[in-house]
Amino acid sequence: MEILTLLIPISVILMAFAAGMFAWAVDNDQFEHLDKHAFDIFEEDSGDNL
Amino acid sequence: MTVSAISVQDMHCAVCAQKVRRSLATLCSIKNAHINLVRRQIYIEHQDNQSVLDVLAAIEAAGFTPTLAELSNHDQEQRQLLKRLGIAGLAAMQVMMVAIALYAGAMDRMAPDVQRLLHFTSLLFATPVICYAAVPFFRGALAGLKKRSLTMDLPVATALTMAFAISLHATVSGQGEVYFDSVVMFTFLLLCARYINTRLQRRFDLSSKLLSALPQRAWRVKNHEHQSVALQALNPGDRIWVPEGAQIPVDGTAEHDPSNTPILIDEAMLTGESEWVSKPSQAALYAGTLNAGRGFFMRASSRVEQSRIVSISRLADKTELSHTRVSQFSDKIAGVFIPAVLTLAGVTFVVWRFVEPANAVTAALSVLVVSCPCALSLATPAALTAAMTRLRQLGVVLTNSLVLERALTIDRIYIDKTGTLTHPEPSIQSTRTLTETFSQSQCLAMAADLQRYTSHPIARAFRPYQSQTDQPSTLTKVTVYSGQGVEGFTPENHRLRVGSAAFVGLAEESARNLNHRWVYLALDQQPIAQFELSNAIRPDAVAAIQALQGLGIQPIMLSGDHPQRCAETADALGIEFLAQQSPETKLAAIRREQALGGHVLMVGDGINDIPVLAGADVSAAVVEATELVKSKADVLLLNAKLTPLAQLFHIAHRTHQVTRQNLLWAAAYNLTAIPLAAAGFMPPWIAALGMATSSVLVMINSSRLLKGTLNFDAPPLSQGRNQASKSNESERFTNDLGRNNGSDAPAPDAKTVRGLI
Repeated sequence: MEILTLLIPISVILMAFAAGMFAWAVDNDQFEHLDKHAFDIFEEDSGDNL
Repeated sequence: MTVSAISVQDMHCAVCAQKVRRSLATLCSIKNAHINLVRRQIYIEHQDNQSVLDVLAAIEAAGFTPTLAELSNHDQEQRQLLKRLGIAGLAAMQVMMVAIALYAGAMDRMAPDVQRLLHFTSLLFATPVICYAAVPFFRGALAGLKKRSLTMDLPVATALTMAFAISLHATVSGQGEVYFDSVVMFTFLLLCARYINTRLQRRFDLSSKLLSALPQRAWRVKNHEHQSVALQALNPGDRIWVPEGAQIPVDGTAEHDPSNTPILIDEAMLTGESEWVSKPSQAALYAGTLNAGRGFFMRASSRVEQSRIVSISRLADKTELSHTRVSQFSDKIAGVFIPAVLTLAGVTFVVWRFVEPANAVTAALSVLVVSCPCALSLATPAALTAAMTRLRQLGVVLTNSLVLERALTIDRIYIDKTGTLTHPEPSIQSTRTLTETFSQSQCLAMAADLQRYTSHPIARAFRPYQSQTDQPSTLTKVTVYSGQGVEGFTPENHRLRVGSAAFVGLAEESARNLNHRWVYLALDQQPIAQFELSNAIRPDAVAAIQALQGLGIQPIMLSGDHPQRCAETADALGIEFLAQQSPETKLAAIRREQALGGHVLMVGDGINDIPVLAGADVSAAVVEATELVKSKADVLLLNAKLTPLAQLFHIAHRTHQVTRQNLLWAAAYNLTAIPLAAAGFMPPWIAALGMATSSVLVMINSSRLLKGTLNFDAPPLSQGRNQASKSNESERFTNDLGRNNGSDAPAPDAKTVRGLI
């Protein structure tokens, strides 16, 4: 049962990491425009990030 | 540095977005621009207001129509909600995993220290859920309390607080049961429902409203100099130049013109009628209407804030305020239920203290947990969400979930004629050649080639017949005669004219049918073809009307149009009508109906319909309606079809049934479980299990709404499958809205109605 004292903190850390990533993804518009890459083929030039 | 939102409604695809992006690339006054194709908006970071105007001008120069949009914080809220949902979901997974170990341990005599460790673990994961994810419910409950009304958020917040507090106490003291699993699952499920709801409404949160109905700039004439000025800068008395095809910026009067040619105004957006109005000099002109004829000078008579279009919208706001509030059924229940549960828990505690003090806390707790209004508070939202999802697939978007409740009482539907029952723009109904020399398609191609030089609504009817290749027109010396027609010369120097009968040298043919108008094509002096244009009735209008009548709802046509024209359309559809109605009389008609105890749904498209839409119990707008109308309507019909209206009523009835079943089940569960819990027969963990099961049953029952529709193939309506050509507009909307959208709807159709009129 001692293994729990190791596994639980690990799961907490992993969870915090996952939650942090999720929050980052939401804040950075990762869920904003899910079709963006499908539309990208219409773009002629790349790098122009106006 | 400020951020402005510019809405470009005609930016449909990535190619358009690319064009807009290029047009902005040359501007150095803006720091950053972000194009959101889904919302058709551009967000720019800029220093001063001048740069916004530059951006508007640049986008306009690229061939789009930009309007300033108010920056809504909707996006921000949506993001917040998604984050809360994500956190709740992640935490729920962890807590449930631990909970399963605890359930197993409860049966298998888990070591107390391990159990304690697991309790603390659950506490660790449940804390962010209560402190962060569940915040909207606490806020909602507080806001409700401040307004002295008991909303469904209150029992949710109470249950969450109680369950968490008790679990916290049990964890810290090491005695009693924990309910972290209930707390997180409950929060997660409710947040899911809320997120889906706001997402559905998101696309239609059109905050730009008024601004998008008016042009951004106007040409002010001072000392013979044309200046482009912002609309707000115009003052009464200013002399304004209104170019051909432009919108009139403010209310005012037409200036006297020496040539005495009348001014033609398309007032469709104000009155809904497609016929152009010919205005003499000094006649009143209204902001937002379109100059369909030659360019002219006008004098502003008021500031833009006092124009008619703004006052109509204010009238609508006032009507909205006087709306009878329909309170949600679940809120009514909450008002009774919450005090009852709290009292009952209190009574249980007091009674048990005298009978068996050791059981007092457990029993009171069981009562609170078992009566946790999970199922009860999910009963309505789950059914509504399922119904709204289904309706969206059918091309109906509800901006207000109360519509489903109100739709049950509707017994009359008022439908605007032009633009709602009929297509908003005229189309070519038939082509008749007047000589043997040219075929119909040749004539159409020639006329279309000429018509590309103007942007009149009539010219737009010819657009589908323009040659698809981009090769330049071979016509030379093209002249547009405002209000009459277009003239051009072929390479062989033949004069080609397209326009009214008089323009091609024919006597005006007596109108056989008032809903139609004729356009002629002439080569040199010889008229060679006649085109018949009309606003065709929507292909599915008959099916929709019959379906509604089948549901016991009486559709009535409302129109500002001439009685005879209305009669033709109404006869074709088999409905009653009220002709020559103004916004005021339309509203009065609805008020009369409501005074007699009737409930009215209004479907419209023009700005003139807004007061009526706001006065009706439920308002609906077709997809082609002006943005202002769409932003005010409760229901949006996205497929350019009317049959989804009948679906709305069908689904509203089914939703009502499902909600009632849900509530009945939830109430029955609570009524049996609460006495058992109060009597001490139910340990809290069984209570929690029962609560979870009841919620799941409610969800499963609600999901039945995701399937099934009104069957239009019933005997009186079986008129074959859909052959209606969907307009590009409707395609575009359905594509934007979702991939699985609309296409699976049984698309009923009447036989082509064109032949009937």
